[in-house]
Amino acid sequence: MDRQFKRRLEARFGPRLTGPVRQRHDQTEIRIAAADVADTLRTLHDDPEFRFEVLADLCGVDTGTHMQVVYHLWSDTTSDWLRVIADGLSRDDPRVPSATFLWPGAEWMEREGYDMFGITFEGNRDLRRIYMPPDYTSFPLRKDFFLPDDAARSPGGGVRHMEQTHTPRNATSPELVRRTRA
Amino acid sequence: MTTTAQRPSADDPRVLLDQQLGVFEPVPPYPPRTEREAEFYSLGDGEMFINMGPQHPSTHGVLRVVLKLNGEEVVDLDPVLGYLHRGVEKLCENADYHQVISQVDPLEYVSSLFCEWSPVMAFEKLLDVEVPRRAEYIRVLAAELNRIASHSLFMGWMALDLGGLTPILWSFIERDEIVEMLASLTGQRMLFNYFRIGGVNGDLNHEFMSRLGDWMTRATEQIEANLALLNENEIFVRRMRGLGVLDRETALRMCVTGPNLRATGVPFDIRRAHPYSIYPELDFDIPTRSEGDCLARYLLRMDEIRQSLRIIDQCLNRMPDGPVMAKLPRLLRPRPGRAYAGIEGPRGQYATYAISDGTDQPFRMRIHDPSFIHLQCVGLLTPGNLVADTMAIMASLDPIMGGVDK
Repeated sequence: MDRQFKRRLEARFGPRLTGPVRQRHDQTEIRIAAADVADTLRTLHDDPEFRFEVLADLCGVDTGTHMQVVYHLWSDTTSDWLRVIADGLSRDDPRVPSATFLWPGAEWMEREGYDMFGITFEGNRDLRRIYMPPDYTSFPLRKDFFLPDDAARSPGGGVRHMEQTHTPRNATSPELVRRTRA
Repeated sequence: MTTTAQRPSADDPRVLLDQQLGVFEPVPPYPPRTEREAEFYSLGDGEMFINMGPQHPSTHGVLRVVLKLNGEEVVDLDPVLGYLHRGVEKLCENADYHQVISQVDPLEYVSSLFCEWSPVMAFEKLLDVEVPRRAEYIRVLAAELNRIASHSLFMGWMALDLGGLTPILWSFIERDEIVEMLASLTGQRMLFNYFRIGGVNGDLNHEFMSRLGDWMTRATEQIEANLALLNENEIFVRRMRGLGVLDRETALRMCVTGPNLRATGVPFDIRRAHPYSIYPELDFDIPTRSEGDCLARYLLRMDEIRQSLRIIDQCLNRMPDGPVMAKLPRLLRPRPGRAYAGIEGPRGQYATYAISDGTDQPFRMRIHDPSFIHLQCVGLLTPGNLVADTMAIMASLDPIMGGVDK
């Protein structure tokens, strides 16, 4: 846990952070608004004080109430992983600037975010589905997409028969959508 | 017996001629949806599309690659994924924290222990569990054995994709010994299901130790003999040298990690860059090469096998006594929070981002697989080379489709 790092982040990004800088074990986490993603990542990458040249992971999260895009970065200036959470994306039309201008290797990770959640990464040249067939209509990792999995204790367990289609239109009830304050 | 007109038998090849073959067209039947799709699926002069279909001996699993060729030269390529997509991340949301270990095993099935280690580490961070030292040593020992097995298989595959049929058999002999050893330790030859949250599932036993000791005495010469088969082979070296050169800057921008990155000259190894487990106590080097071509990636993995042998040796000498599992309740309910655990797998950074909402099922289990990222580089490195070089470049990046497709 790098306390110095927390102070440096608060000093540099203070007004842009939408929540406190949290640290736990070997991770430091900052939350920003979706619109600030491009500037923040560029600062973290280019600034000689930070030098976060390694994008370790880019993923989407559906908290049940809204969507997030989470970036994990590594730098040799600190002993912690940095987690940047672009919070507060709406579940109806989640949009966030693409990171491909800095890391072209983020292209497929963003394609996966689009495929699984429906998050539109603005600026990604190739935002099409990557795992699901191109004519698939649902976004599988969303919390309102239920697996017809009778064996598991999911909210949809035992509710629908195996052959029934499982799209968000068929979701039985909004109360069954699992939520958290992630 | 009535003499009715018979339908043609399903074995009659003439039946196929009447069917439309549109399903095998490499070009998709809808207009292009993105810039890149439009750019790729428009043919220039003298170009054609060839489908390197999901069923192919050299695609390291079920991967479909649409090649745009100008004669023998590849102009562009578009990998199509998803043929092995099993929805592991979604299934993990419906599973217990313990059940997740069985779910993630078949991701990078060749190096299962790393696939288990990463989520287990993330859950241990969520639960604030400290793993006993003996368990950590056993984890490192087993994982480094798995790394050697994975790299041995890589050696065989690399040669197989170039057309050499002997090295794959030799590498399977090598791998078989290691895998039998791990079977006597974990009970399984491939999808080990050995790591547990808080430790490992069972201490070292006599059979494993005797097999390991036996193997260690022969390991170095055996590996050197395998390498002598390929390293001095003129065809192998001339085909791989200078092919698919990835430079430092491009590799970092493409989020490449692991041996592919170290072959470009960046000494980034998570075991040293962001140490975990007992790696800070162990003495090993990070091999790095600067050429960045296929040969460098191959030779680097062979260097890593030697370093893994050093690590195994140290683990055996320093193995402490103690329990192999931390005391944990059977029903695990971590407090709400988020944890990220990145480890150095044989292919690169294998990471898990786990979100807990206080229940006994993970809220989100994001699995970051290195092979997924590295496949993007195939589209970057292949244009300008021949069709046969596609296989060489793909093999040298060492993708495992189980991990790519999750």
